[in-house]
Amino acid sequence: MNARLDVDFVPAEGAMLRILGLIERRGYRIHELTLSERPQRSSSLSMLIEARDAGRQPDIVARQVGNLFDVSSVTLSPSQPSARP
Amino acid sequence: MLSPAPRPPAPLPQQVLGAQLVVEALEAAGSEYIFGYPGGAIMPVYDALTGSSLKHILVRHEQAAALAADAYARVTGQAGVCLATSGPGATNLITGIANAFMDSVPMVAITGQVPTTLMGTDAFQEIDTFGLMMPIVKHSFLVRDPADIPHVFAEAFRIATMGRPGPVLIDLPKNVTNGFATRAELPVHQPKAIAFDSDAVAAADALIAAAVKPLLYVGGGVAMARAEDALRRFVARTAIPSVATLKGLGSIPTDDPTFIGMLGMHGSRAANIAVEECDLLICIGARFDDRATGKLASFAPNAKVIHLDADPSEIGKLRRAEVGFAGDIVAALDGFSAQPHVGDWLAHCQGRKRLWAPRYDAPGQGIYAPALLKTLADKAGDGAIFTCDVGLHQMWVAQHCRFSRPQAHLTSGGLGTMGYGVPAGIGALLAEPDATVITVSGDGSFMMNIQELATLRRYRLPLKIVLIDNSQLGMVRQWQELFFEENFSEIDLSDNPAFSEVAHAFGIEAFTIDCRDEVAGGIARLLGTGGPILMHVRIDPRENVWPLVPPNSPNVEMLEKRW
Ligand SMILES: Cc1ncc(C[n+]2csc(CCOP(=O)(O)OP(=O)(O)O)c2C)c(N)n1
Repeated sequence: MNARLDVDFVPAEGAMLRILGLIERRGYRIHELTLSERPQRSSSLSMLIEARDAGRQPDIVARQVGNLFDVSSVTLSPSQPSARP
Repeated sequence: MLSPAPRPPAPLPQQVLGAQLVVEALEAAGSEYIFGYPGGAIMPVYDALTGSSLKHILVRHEQAAALAADAYARVTGQAGVCLATSGPGATNLITGIANAFMDSVPMVAITGQVPTTLMGTDAFQEIDTFGLMMPIVKHSFLVRDPADIPHVFAEAFRIATMGRPGPVLIDLPKNVTNGFATRAELPVHQPKAIAFDSDAVAAADALIAAAVKPLLYVGGGVAMARAEDALRRFVARTAIPSVATLKGLGSIPTDDPTFIGMLGMHGSRAANIAVEECDLLICIGARFDDRATGKLASFAPNAKVIHLDADPSEIGKLRRAEVGFAGDIVAALDGFSAQPHVGDWLAHCQGRKRLWAPRYDAPGQGIYAPALLKTLADKAGDGAIFTCDVGLHQMWVAQHCRFSRPQAHLTSGGLGTMGYGVPAGIGALLAEPDATVITVSGDGSFMMNIQELATLRRYRLPLKIVLIDNSQLGMVRQWQELFFEENFSEIDLSDNPAFSEVAHAFGIEAFTIDCRDEVAGGIARLLGTGGPILMHVRIDPRENVWPLVPPNSPNVEMLEKRW
């Protein structure tokens, strides 16, 4: 199952590795990753995630990302089917 | 080879050495004991330790430093602290840190690192400690400026202990501990008040009131949250029967009439059947781990679920909960007021517990380990603390010893670390010097941290070690017997050293017993001796642990052997 995950975080040492590593270790593929800088020492990662098997629920991994200390907010939304030419 | 200490630049007035700030930060965090092993990159901190109020325990292997800190934390409830140098010192800590991560134990692990200018150059004893530890810590810091030390340490202790506890790593490059900074005031953190969801309480109360066969499923999170008193109040009010995971043992005293037993792979038949039959499962500080649930799809098939946990991401992770509480377990338990009528159900569970109680009258003259451990626990009394290694002996302790508090049973639950027992005994004795602390180990496990006998001797720690020797990697042997057609591959330890002599060589009293008549005398000697002592117990190598739920089977499909 695909979902879009938007993560706002403080770009502390290792913060990106922690977020992406956790998502991959918990059994998700990451697609279409975008990093954007935010004002006030904040960054934002937006990505499409895909569970490696049907038993995994993206809302659980979203909560696990939310537990990380650099992370200030996590938003999970259903992925829009990407329009391909 | 140690790298030569670069001479630090002269400090400005009012400035203090980074290493000194480390020591002050540890003192400010209230650490009494720290467990470690020195080396090049951490030497500035060791230099600053001299004269501080911290008591440093010099273990003989960094893995033992982390495991002892883990046990110290489990008993005291404060973060345990371990300390190692860069490179091999840091890699040796990994197993102990992973152990604390899996069992949600608060810990602050401090590692030396090569100077920041050398990081990334494959310098002597350089390893990417930060990267290696990332998946097994709750959070990690790489300190680049000595001025950050006080704040980073305060933050590390806060993160390690709050919410779901866990280990936090602080990697300290040598130029940071050798550098100078001005002392700064630390900001004071106000713990956030936990919002209490009254709708969820009402929904849980309604489920409890409507339940005919409610059951508590108690995990290690109860002890982590220091919620055992609230749990006992709840049980006293409602008389709801309970089962516990390996790590939940002792949260409700194991001889409490409402306690039915441990559930799961090596749980009791009465406990597993109670889960099968219950119509409401109140899961407290547990995570539906496969060792506890067996085949998840068949676990508590008729039950609605109320789930209480400090970690919001555990709620609904493996089993949907009708009502979930993330946060303060004590507040949630004290908030429930429903009064279910459970008399018949409780009596039914208690009847099953009596019917399927373990027997201790095994035939023969050989030592029957479950009987020995039961007698030992009865004689050692309520205040005793048991620490275990991993294997058959670990399960026998869980099944046959009694625990009146969760701190009385220290076991490596999540990671299953052979070698945990003796370092954990060291940590427990330092946390509670007046307690009787007993380590139960197997011959395979004991060899994994046998060097810590030297630590026991040095600090005169009166650990009582019961070494259950079947000259085999017993638990592996049992699996090979049952699930690999008796292809006994690489489990023979019949060339073990003479354990009593080894202990003597470390300066520790020791003796061997190998027949049933010697058990009573052996236990009396073990408990009556003031210093560290080893009781080496030879048992039949074919002895297995029962019951056993085969992997991927429902918990009610228990294999059992009876004489
Ligand atoms: C560090 C480590 N290596 C391997 C294992 C796998 N393992 C689990 S139980 C066991 C056998 C333990 O043997 P022993 O300590 O003698 O205890 P027994 O089962 O005989 O009581 C092994 C090898 C482990 N849990 N930990």
